[in-house]
Amino acid sequence: MSDVNNGISRRSVLKGAAIGGAGLVAGGSLLAGCGKKQVTGDVRFTIRGNLSDAGAKIAIAANDAYTAKTGNKVISQAVNSDDFQNNFVQILQGTPDDAFGWMAGWRTNARADAGLLADVSEQVKALGSSLSAAAIQGATNPTDGKQYIIPTTYYPWGLHYRKSTMQELGLDPESISTWDDLIKLCEATQKKGLVGYALGDKGGWEAMGTFDILNMRLNGYQFHIDLLNGKEQWTDAKVVEVFNYMGQLAPYMNKNVLDISWDGMRDLLLQKKCGAMMMGSWFANDFLAKSQEDYDDLWIVPFPEINPEHGIDSIDAPLDGISVAANGNNVEGGADLAGFLGSKEGIDAAVAAGDTNIYISSEFDTSSYDAFNKQKLAVLGAAKNIGFFLDRDTRGDFAGPVVGPAIQSFLKNPKDLTKILDSTQAQWDALPAL
Amino acid sequence: MKTAAVNKNVRSRRSLSRNDRFTLSAFVGIPTLLQIVFLWAPTLITVVLSFTYWNGINVSDIKWAGFANYKNIFFGSPVFYDALKNNVVWLLWFTFLATPLGILLAYQFDRKIKGHQIYETIFYIPVVLSLAIIGIIWNFMLQPGGFVQGVMGRDIGNAISIWGNYDINSYVIMALASWRHIGYIMLLYLAGLKAFDSSLREASAIDGATEWQTFRKIIFPTMRPVNVIILVITIIDSLRAFDLVYIIYGTSTAWPLLNILAFQNFAGQGISMKGAAYSVIALVLCVVPILVYLRNVFKEDLQ
Repeated sequence: MSDVNNGISRRSVLKGAAIGGAGLVAGGSLLAGCGKKQVTGDVRFTIRGNLSDAGAKIAIAANDAYTAKTGNKVISQAVNSDDFQNNFVQILQGTPDDAFGWMAGWRTNARADAGLLADVSEQVKALGSSLSAAAIQGATNPTDGKQYIIPTTYYPWGLHYRKSTMQELGLDPESISTWDDLIKLCEATQKKGLVGYALGDKGGWEAMGTFDILNMRLNGYQFHIDLLNGKEQWTDAKVVEVFNYMGQLAPYMNKNVLDISWDGMRDLLLQKKCGAMMMGSWFANDFLAKSQEDYDDLWIVPFPEINPEHGIDSIDAPLDGISVAANGNNVEGGADLAGFLGSKEGIDAAVAAGDTNIYISSEFDTSSYDAFNKQKLAVLGAAKNIGFFLDRDTRGDFAGPVVGPAIQSFLKNPKDLTKILDSTQAQWDALPAL
Repeated sequence: MKTAAVNKNVRSRRSLSRNDRFTLSAFVGIPTLLQIVFLWAPTLITVVLSFTYWNGINVSDIKWAGFANYKNIFFGSPVFYDALKNNVVWLLWFTFLATPLGILLAYQFDRKIKGHQIYETIFYIPVVLSLAIIGIIWNFMLQPGGFVQGVMGRDIGNAISIWGNYDINSYVIMALASWRHIGYIMLLYLAGLKAFDSSLREASAIDGATEWQTFRKIIFPTMRPVNVIILVITIIDSLRAFDLVYIIYGTSTAWPLLNILAFQNFAGQGISMKGAAYSVIALVLCVVPILVYLRNVFKEDLQ
């Protein structure tokens, strides 16, 4: 059984766990010499999100499976995801939980370089060939070639819509393959009194998904990554072109883009109030939680081709996984749990609890995938180059504080584009060396 | 005999007993020490850090940056001027609208107009709510999918844009902040007016002064100590504003304030000492006008 504690009761539980854990670890290391190393002790796990979320129930089910297998108790704690991300560095420098769901890319590598995350290369190695070379590559810190996150799931950012809405509009949902198709779709939905292209950017990051894909479609993956790493200029005409395309979508957007966040976008689609939207597929869990019917109606296709030179060869597919805090009470236990969650047994437990995410592990049986998940795989398979999303592909002190407000400013006042891009480039130039 | 007794009194006041000395040093010393450790030291460290590059993790990574962070803010970050504008709008709104309204209400209620207790309660109630709670309440009401939008028959897709509409969002935020501020000022002023000698008012009435003249020439000058407090509170509350806006917009700087920018650069994935520089700017803006004002006030009092 994994215990779930909130707030006040947690401290006392942790004290007991720490003492008990220390004793068990000592006992464990004594036994270690006698054969296969057995990791013991309570493990503390942070769930990002509300306990009532579908994701939390899935995490708890997987942790329970770990306890059933090893006898090690997992103490799960649910925290607000935004708060956890905002205070991540402070939490990791204090007394963090041993393991938690995290994101590959800059957010893992930079913190690993600072010594805040534990090396889990051993666990990644143990998962062996079940992880593709590309997944391991994505989880590897370029600084030292080690892994600080066990990659578990990923999801495509694609064009989501409801099949039923497309049928009502008399459109073929499978053939949104060119920019003109997309505009046609937007026009048709708008004529029906719905929102053509749903977008929210109150959080400051949601519209980065649209920016990323337009940049990759127009200018290609390499230009996109180079731009995010300072090797290309924001003032380049190619970037202006990206914003021009975003501007072409603006007339079809809801009139309250800066008022709604990603969950507002989700609700628009859930309530059949919009045509299409560019979003990561993780929200599909919420469709399933509402009803099987809604989930079956949900569909995803790759963002349409714009520049034939690049076709649809790139996609944002953020890699998620489990990281282990270097300052945790039970680093070994945390790594062991992380390894389990990436293994077949862990995945099976999560899927049995209703997880609709796509697991990277090849041991995961994709034949049991439902139609939507098979389509997600197809969307991922169509791409040759995988980005992790703007706020994981570039520096943290650039993505949130600079690019986020820049895109918001553009959505607010498209005429300021030149000024916005000049300023974005100037702010990149002013960043201190890492 | 008499003088001796007085001398004795003076002496005993000066030479405190062991017990007194212990109590005094405990009562003054411990809070002072706590203030130094938890307030002054971090403030000074923040000031020093604002002249460095640092990602907030390893102390050994701190690099001297000179004025680079400030230069970056003043010349490279347009969002700084948006924030400054919002803070100034907040200050002006409070100074010229919310605070005078609170004073006016207090003045009216002090005259015991009919049903003044009911009105007092109505205006006082928002004061018990923190700005964070006010943010939660009104965000819940006004956001797309919120209660007010629902009553107007607006769903998420066609909800009236409020937080993202730059023609009105500042006014809405100001109105929410004033909702509490007016009651707060009213309460402070009412407390001051209770101590006001009503014979002065009667005297001015007998001399034939109008209400406005009585207020301007008699009551307002007599209430000077309260006025000073109210002015200081108004300035500080405007410049330290954070919670209400943070609840509505989060760390995204869609409606920036200096403190939001400081927080954005301290928290999240990109920790940078630009945040420290923003804090220092906010501190200077907050403290300097107040110090200047208080110095003048005390100088006049001494004269």
